Parts: sequence; C-alpha cells; structure tokens
Amino acid sequence: MTAQNHAIATPSAQGALPGQERYVAPIEETPLKEVDSVDESQPARSMWSEAWRTLRRNPLFIVSAVLIVLVLLVAIFPSLFTKGNPNYCDLENSLNPSSPSHPFGYDLQGCDVYTRTIYGTRASLSVGVLTTILVVIIGGLIGAVAGYFGGWVDAVLSRITDIFYAIPLLLGAIVVLQMFRTSTSIWKVVFVLALFGWVSVARITRSSVMEAKNLEFNTASEALGLSRGRNLFKHVIPNSLAPVIVVATTSLGTYIVSEATLSFLGIGLPTTVVSWGGDISAAQNLLRVAPTVLFWPSLALAITVLAFIMMGDAVRDALDPKSRSL
Amino acid sequence: MSNTTIEASSSKSGATQSDSAPRPLLEVKDLQVQFTTSTGSFTAVRDSDFTVYPGQWVAIVGESGSGKSTSAMSVLGLLPGTGHVTGGSIKLDGEDITHYTSKQFESIRGKRIGLVPQDPMSNLNPVWRIGTQVKEAIVANGMDVKREKRSELAQRLADSETDGHYHGDDDELFIGSAQLPQLIENARAAVASVTDDAEAVEKAMAHFNEQWVAGSSTRWQVREDLIAAGVPADEAKRIATTYVVGATMDDRIAGLLTEAGLPDAATRARQYPYEFSGGMRQRALIAIGLAARPELLIADEPTSALDVTVQKRILDHLQFLTDSLGTAVLFITHDLGLAAERAQHIVVMYKGRVVESGPSLEVLQHPQHPYTKRLVAAAPSLASQRIISARQRGDAAAADASLDHAAKDAQQIAGSETIIEVQHLVKEFKMPRRKEMFRAVDDVSFSVRRGTTCAIVGESGSGKSTVANMVLHLLDPTSGTVLYEGKDVHSFDRRQLLDFRRHVQPVFQNPYGSLDPMYSIYRSIEEPLKIHGIGNKKTRLARVRELLDMVSLPQSTMTRYPNELSGGQRQRIAIARAMALNPDVIVCDEAVSALDVLVQDQVLHLLNDLQAEQGLSYLFITHDLAVVRQIADDVVVMRQGKLVEHATTDEVFNSPKTQYTRDLLDAIPGGSLKLGLD
Repeated sequence: MTAQNHAIATPSAQGALPGQERYVAPIEETPLKEVDSVDESQPARSMWSEAWRTLRRNPLFIVSAVLIVLVLLVAIFPSLFTKGNPNYCDLENSLNPSSPSHPFGYDLQGCDVYTRTIYGTRASLSVGVLTTILVVIIGGLIGAVAGYFGGWVDAVLSRITDIFYAIPLLLGAIVVLQMFRTSTSIWKVVFVLALFGWVSVARITRSSVMEAKNLEFNTASEALGLSRGRNLFKHVIPNSLAPVIVVATTSLGTYIVSEATLSFLGIGLPTTVVSWGGDISAAQNLLRVAPTVLFWPSLALAITVLAFIMMGDAVRDALDPKSRSL
Repeated sequence: MSNTTIEASSSKSGATQSDSAPRPLLEVKDLQVQFTTSTGSFTAVRDSDFTVYPGQWVAIVGESGSGKSTSAMSVLGLLPGTGHVTGGSIKLDGEDITHYTSKQFESIRGKRIGLVPQDPMSNLNPVWRIGTQVKEAIVANGMDVKREKRSELAQRLADSETDGHYHGDDDELFIGSAQLPQLIENARAAVASVTDDAEAVEKAMAHFNEQWVAGSSTRWQVREDLIAAGVPADEAKRIATTYVVGATMDDRIAGLLTEAGLPDAATRARQYPYEFSGGMRQRALIAIGLAARPELLIADEPTSALDVTVQKRILDHLQFLTDSLGTAVLFITHDLGLAAERAQHIVVMYKGRVVESGPSLEVLQHPQHPYTKRLVAAAPSLASQRIISARQRGDAAAADASLDHAAKDAQQIAGSETIIEVQHLVKEFKMPRRKEMFRAVDDVSFSVRRGTTCAIVGESGSGKSTVANMVLHLLDPTSGTVLYEGKDVHSFDRRQLLDFRRHVQPVFQNPYGSLDPMYSIYRSIEEPLKIHGIGNKKTRLARVRELLDMVSLPQSTMTRYPNELSGGQRQRIAIARAMALNPDVIVCDEAVSALDVLVQDQVLHLLNDLQAEQGLSYLFITHDLAVVRQIADDVVVMRQGKLVEHATTDEVFNSPKTQYTRDLLDAIPGGSLKLGLD
C-alpha cells in the first residue's frame, strides 16, 4: 500500500518534491467515527471491579488467598482438622517421634504438637485481625482528620504520632504488658499492639488524604454546596482507602509475628491460651534434642505471615495508581 | 506492499536525484508500529509515509492517540514501553535505520537527530544546573566548542551571503568571551576611521553588541558585519582573524542558550531548572536539542504547554535558528493553525494512519479527506464567527436577522439585566518568606449580562482563575464585591450560600480531576440533587437520564465510571452535573482547554445550544482567544492581575485598544491564514 497507489494528484501538486506529493488516503481505510462516541459494548468497570480483575489473574493473589482461607478455616473450626485436645498432655509421650496418628510428634510435656499447632492458629489470627481492625480505626481517623483539616489540628496530631513513632514497639509493649501480667485475656495483647501500631496507618492515611483532598472534584463538590465535613466522608476517605488497605493487609502479618514475639518473651498471651508464640517459646530449649517441636509451630507462623504479606503485595499491585489511570 | 513497488519507487528517486533534485533527509515508508499488551498486540501506526527534506519544516498534525508522536519517536528509536517497529522502513539520508540497535541509535541521537520534548517541566533534571545539562549534550556528542558545525545547505547559503568569501573551517571559529571586549574596541576604531558621523558609529556598535555573542557568532559573520558597516575588507579580515579565535566550553553553553532566546545566558546557565519559567525551560531544551547541530530536529508539541505569546516568540526564534543552520524540523502538533503557519509540508494522521498530506496551505485550504475537512471546520481561528445555536440553525431563514435581533435585545436589557457584577475586586496572597503580599487580582470590575457569555482572557498568572473562584465563592476577596442579582455574594449566610450554589455552577478545566473516580456517572450527576434534597430516588433517576440526553451521551453511560470515558465525555458529564440544579450562571474555568480540536468544538457547540435553550449566562475563563471568538459576547482581557480591556467581542477583535490585546491577537497561530472548505 504505497503512496503511489492511492495518491490523488492535484494540479498544483506537481511542483512538490518526490515523496511530498499531495496524498489523500482512501476513505475505506480509516472510516470516520463519530466524534467522541461512548463505546457501549464494554461492560462498566469501577476502580474496585478493575482491581478485582487484575487480582484474579495474579498467581500471587491466588496462592495467598488459598492459604488465608485455609488458615481462617483452621482458626474457626479447629476440630475439623484434629480430633485431639490441645491441653491433653501425657508425660509418657514426652518427645515421642511422629507416628501416623500424631504426624508432628509430641513436645516435652507430652502434648500432641499437631493438635497444638492447629489450635494455636485461632489465638494468633485473632490477635492479628483484631489488632488490624483497631489500628485502622484509630490510625485512619487520626490520620484522616490531621490530613484533611491541616493547620494546627495537623500539627498537634502529627506531633502525637511522632511521639508514638519514637517508642520501639517491643520496648513499649514490654513496659505496658508488665502492668497487666495477671490478665488472662487476649485483648491486652491486642490493645498493646494497637497502641503502638496505629502510627504507621495514621501516617499513610494522612498523606493519602492530603493528596485526595487537593483533587479538583472536591472543589467541584464544594461548589455544589457539600459541606466540608461531609466531603471528607463522601469523597476524600473513599479515595484514600487504597494505600491504607495495602498497609493494613501487610501489617496483619507483622502483628501476628509481634504477638508470637511477646508470647515467646513470656509477656504476651497467657500460658492457658494455646498459641504458636507460646509453643515456640516452650520449644526453644529443645532445639538440639527435638528440633521438630520448634519447627512445626514456627512453620505455621511463617506460612500465615507470608500469606498476608503476599496478599498485601498483590493488592498493592492491583490498586497501584499508575495502572489505574485509564 | 510488495517488493516491486519498493524497487520502483527507489529507482524513481534515483532518477530524480540525477536531475539534481534535493535528496530527502528523512524518508519514512509504510511504517508500522505495534505495542504488546497483556491482551495481545495493538497497532498504533500503520502504513505511515512521510518525507522530510533538508532545511524543511514538516508538520504532523492529529488528535491525541492518532500516532503522531509514536511515528516521530520511532525515527529516534525511542518508542515507549513495549512499542516496536513491525514493518516499513525509516531512512535517514539514504541509510536504513529501521533496524538499528540501541547503540547505533545512540550514535545518531543528538548528533544527527535532535529532540525537543513536549513537557518542559519534566524534561530537565532538577538537580543539575542548566549549563551542566547543555554541556552534557555538547560532550556526549563530541562537539568542538571552538567551531560552528554548519550543514552543507547552510554552508552554501553562507557562501552566497558572503559573495564567495566563505571558506569554512577557521571561518567558523566562535568569538570567545575573553576576546570579545578587544574585538568590540577594535571594531569601534575601525568603524570610526571610515566615518565621521558619530551617530552612525553608535548605530553600528549597537548592532555589533547585539549580534556578536561569545560562543555563537563566528569569524565570517563578524567579518561580514564589519564590511557591511563600511570597514574595508582587508581591515575587516584582519580584525576578525585576530580577535575571533574560538570559544571555551562556558562560552559555547552561554552561546547556545542565547541562540535559543534566553537573555543573560551566562548567568542563567548557572541556575537550576526550578528557577526557570516554562518558556525559559523550553528554550533551554531547544538549546540542548540543537547543541550537536543535528540535521533533523524533532519537536514534539514543543510549545503546547506555553502561553500563546511565549509560543510565538519561541517558535519565531526556533525558525530563525533552524533556517540559519539548515536544520530540518519534524514538528508534531495538534494545532492546525500552527502547522499551517510554520510548516511547508503537512501530514495529517488519524487512527494511526496518514489520511492526507501535501503542501500545508493547500491541504488546509482545500482539504479532501473527510477527517481533514472535519478538522479544518472545527479549528478555531480568527476568521471564525460566534457559533450559532441549534435553535437558530434550525431557523435558517431568519438566522441572520434573529442574531441581530438577539444582540439588540441583549443590549437593550444590558443595563437592568446584569446577573453578575464584579466591583473593584482585589485578591492578595501571602508569599512564602516574603513580607509584602502578592496581588493576584488588582482592582477588577466587569459585569455579565443575563443570557450572554462573558469571557475572561489572559495568560497564565493573569489572575483570571482567581477571579472565577471569587465569583464562585470558593475564595474570599481581599476587597471589592461580587454581586449576584444585586446581592453581595460574600455577605451570604449559610442558607443563602446554599441557595446561591444552586444558581451558580462551575465546570473546571481538568476533565480527569473534576469527577470523583470512585463515583459512577449516575452518582456524580445525582450528587447535586442529593445535596440539595431535590426529589426522590425515582425522580432523580429520571432527571439524570434527562441530563445525559441534554449533553448527548447515551443513558447507559450512567453505570460507567470516569476512568472509562474520554476527556471530552467527562467534560460533558461535568456540564450535565452543573446543569442538574437548573442554574442561571455557569462558570467555565478553561473548560475546553485540555480537549482535542474536534471534541473542543463539540463541547463549545453543546454549551452554546444549552445557552440558547435555557437562557444560561456563562463566565468563560480561557487563554485561547480563538475560542473566545466562537463563544463570547463580551471579553475581559486580564494581564498580571489587572483588567486591560473590557468590551464586546467584535470590538476587541476588530479594534483592540491596547497593545497587549493586539499582541495576544497576533500570537494566535494561523490567525492570519484563511482556512476553508471548498
């Protein structure tokens, strides 16, 4: 399809240099479309449905989702996975190796490691999920208010955030938990982790809200008569959720680790609660004698944390603002 | 595409070459460019042909997504992302560069093909001084900073200008800043010795001072200037040979920047990009693009982000510069007027294909392809008239009469029917780290008549958007008043303000920012009705349907989200939302500036039809005078916060009262060209 085939030479074009003669393409090649028509054949897609489409095709997401669903099932219905009782221990079985009915073997106290690992899921996961919920509520609210209203509100809230940021999580948790040694509820761990964990969510929310509030549609809504407070909830917060979700998913895993760390140190969950951290702590002295006792709860912990962190990465890819534009 | 045609065409060009016709510098044939995406491959450019001759300006015109930039970038081997050339050939000076490796491309980039990129704001490295970035271009291409490198074409030109005295080589040595004072001194003595007229000496010296730039002017130019001033040829040659002995790197950097039109270049070279305005940055980029004296310069929308008057100055300068260097320019633009004004040859692209090409005036005055015809018809230019509304178009027989009639009516009620009046409006902003306040708007007064369009025109920084925001009560004025139907807008209490919001609505510039991406189109248009508690779910749905009809979008658009719509469609949604509450006044802040010509034309027609049907009044903020001509009845010209001129559109266009307005009018690209359909 060269120019020569289709060139319509006009009389005045004869003076043109070779290659620059007057050329008009045949209309059939590029039929004119109506100016700026809407393509009605495509299904409508919101940002979330778009993100969902991307997620579904991401192997990282599929693997992590399967793992998370499995972990959730184990946490909610542990009896489906084991017939045993995690607190039934018989010293006769102490450090017995694995057998078909007890695949992970026994620990020093003669408890079945498999059963304890299964039952430990609930404690670890509850701490992770509850802490995340609390952190998102506290951090999200403080960050959103600081970012949206700015000025002295921001100055005060940001300094408070900075103070909490300066306290190392473990150090703070040790100090606070020392005061509640006697409490036997898992809530004390949740509160302590939330107390020192909201800071990162607050910071992310603040910057995300500050970005969203400067977008032009906020001015448009203000000109429509929407009040500032309502604008925050109707437009700004929905538009700043994406990074918060990403951080929350990833942090969920780290909260589980923190819980295990605290339990390992003996100041986390009470010993009456079956938890991975507690079991790892109890198994630490057996590393040389019976490494499997330490290995199984650690593996469960690692897989769970990895699943949540992978999920966070997949969600981040799907909600990436760069892939979102058109 | 078959081999025989290639051979046929190449043997044909071989034949013409023997007739001593100029050889094409760039020959693009049947170019095909594809991008690989996750869902398959997408052809961005197909069967694209164009040719550029040495020293020529060729424009590629088209809307966004037409493949114009992609075509140009494939010449440089700089296709973004997954793009690659899948067919056709690109020849630079007869050599096929289509399948060059990236290393081979590096050797021709800068040296043989220069680039002036589109966005001056993001194309300079913010942590390097301007001079360093120019130096990089000189060093990377191994340029001799002592001598000018002139193309063969420009050498022939120089030869004819100097009556054959031009020798090349040492004749191309630059003036050095170290020798410049002595050169000027000796030139003065030489000129003074041939004339007694003191005034003539001063005039000659003024000319020299302006023309002789260290690192830019060459020995033969100095010699010719001296001879032109009356100095005997021998003496001129002696002075030029003694005092023009080549420049240093710093001289050359400053010289290049001066050539690109940057004043006080030696100082500027030591500054950082953030200290430069958009126009200055674009000049620096031009200096960089031309630093290695390429044979071809690709300018990708080089001035689209700049004000018209700045655009005109920069392009004038670039044209002068490329003419004297013999550089060919491949100029990519969406602006037909600009293309017609600057280029000899024009290539119109649409949906990845070349739909029409030819001598620019001919293409624009006798467009043949329906797309070109459409483009020409939609191009706003000085020649165009105010758009006539659909209703008046229907009334064809009495169209002219009714227009006159309407105008008279409007004038008669002008006194009593002022809907918005702005009185002595002042807005001051606090500058960071400065004591004094910055006056963004300085004593501006004007009025908008009911049912008419008043346009505020000005360049960036003129304060026009600030005025709009004060009219909308989104900003409080420092002093002065905005009256809506005689009532001071800024004295309103909460309830009055909510009521005012029902009557005065904005449409903003950025079609990608003014709709909440999380809201479906239905929710976006419904929002104002909800805020003001109008109707129930059912009536609101009916109203949204009606509004979509009003802006000619299918009702199914309702379920979509902004990211699925084009810029023009989003802007129509924004108009529908603004119309939801049946307002009296719509403030359009650069509402069509970001749109392609055809879409812009469509939106302007829509606004105009709505005005005729609903009796709307518009306050139309724009930087584009050509658009003003199409839509406005009255014009307010603003400059640096002050009102420069306020009159009817006809008065402003036919007899502008101030120099600034005249400059603005002159700067409209293609303003003097008469575009037309056969």
